[in-house]
Amino acid sequence: MAAAAELRLLEKSLGLKPGNKYSAQGERQIPVLQTNNGPSLMGLSTIATHLVKQASKEHLLGSTAEEKAMVQQWLEFRVTRVDGHSSKEDTQTLLKDLNSYLEDKVYLAGHNITLADILLYYGLHRFIVDLTVQEKEKYLNVSRWFCHIQHYPDIRQHLSSIVFIKNRLYANSH
Amino acid sequence: MGFGDLKTPAGLQVLNDYLADKSYIEGYVPSQADVAVFEAVSGPPPADLCHALRWYNHIKSYEKEKASLPGVKKSLGKYGPSSVEDTTGSGAADAKDDDDIDLFGSDDEEESEEAKKLREERLAQYESKKAKKPAVVAKSSILLDVKPWDDETDMTKLEECVRSIQADGLVWGSSKLVPVGYGIKKLQIQCVVEDDKVGTDMLEEQITAFEDYVQSMDVAAFNKI
Repeated sequence: MAAAAELRLLEKSLGLKPGNKYSAQGERQIPVLQTNNGPSLMGLSTIATHLVKQASKEHLLGSTAEEKAMVQQWLEFRVTRVDGHSSKEDTQTLLKDLNSYLEDKVYLAGHNITLADILLYYGLHRFIVDLTVQEKEKYLNVSRWFCHIQHYPDIRQHLSSIVFIKNRLYANSH
Repeated sequence: MGFGDLKTPAGLQVLNDYLADKSYIEGYVPSQADVAVFEAVSGPPPADLCHALRWYNHIKSYEKEKASLPGVKKSLGKYGPSSVEDTTGSGAADAKDDDDIDLFGSDDEEESEEAKKLREERLAQYESKKAKKPAVVAKSSILLDVKPWDDETDMTKLEECVRSIQADGLVWGSSKLVPVGYGIKKLQIQCVVEDDKVGTDMLEEQITAFEDYVQSMDVAAFNKI
């Protein structure tokens, strides 16, 4: 998904009125937001954080100092590891690491949904949509988390709803 | 349904398996279902039951707003996988209740007077409703060929004879003379009939009764209107 389209999705899920003008810059098509006053903002994390504050939903950036730090780390992870991937092996490594991390967590940071969950959901959608049933069971914790996030009514919008079904034909690897 | 006894390792294992692919007991938000199950668990599950432990820690973070979570709190046996037997209430494993359920028995063996009256009333309503329906009159348009004996037959008189046939539900239309051959012509006449009252058999019988003029009669066309 193009960064501008994703940021428009984010705007909608935050309840902001559309009207921002986005452009892309450089070889890696870094998103740029031209603001009415002040300098323009560059980068997905920067613009997303700005939108959250604009919508007065700062709880999405974390409740405690540790949670805020974790949210920022996941935004960085999203930009560098999810968007920066190049091969099938990278995708598998990514999902494997995420699966381990989510084993004992409902959300990525803290006990509530944050911007990290939202942007990672948008970023991973194109990978999860291509997973087979066996792969979905292999990355069980990622599937649980992804299925959970996609049921938030405002977040999914026009993205396709991915089916997660537990199939008894495939034995769990545990 | 149920998780079995959640104070035992077996019950916690059931809970762990149940929560492997779910964040909450019911739906996608914490609810009273989670509160009920949380209260049934005596303490944090062991570390090897990672899904149950994840859920426990998560629900524990909602301790302050426990009462305000959505949903209606039900008994513990109402939650969980349907394949597990509910052992929450009894505790006594020896008592085997022989629940012989009669699947085909009705709750009330004797039909009550009121139910009988209601049934008859409804049947009467149905009959009256059905009777009220207006019947649609079925009609047909028929084109008849009436053939004379020879070329000297008076075709005008023949047509008068045919049109003299009158019946309820029969209306004669236009007509014309069609050459057949050797100077002989046949009468082609249109009529509209109501199917319930007039039939082609009756028409043929009456038309061929004029033996001085009519040799035979055919139905050239028959169309439902």
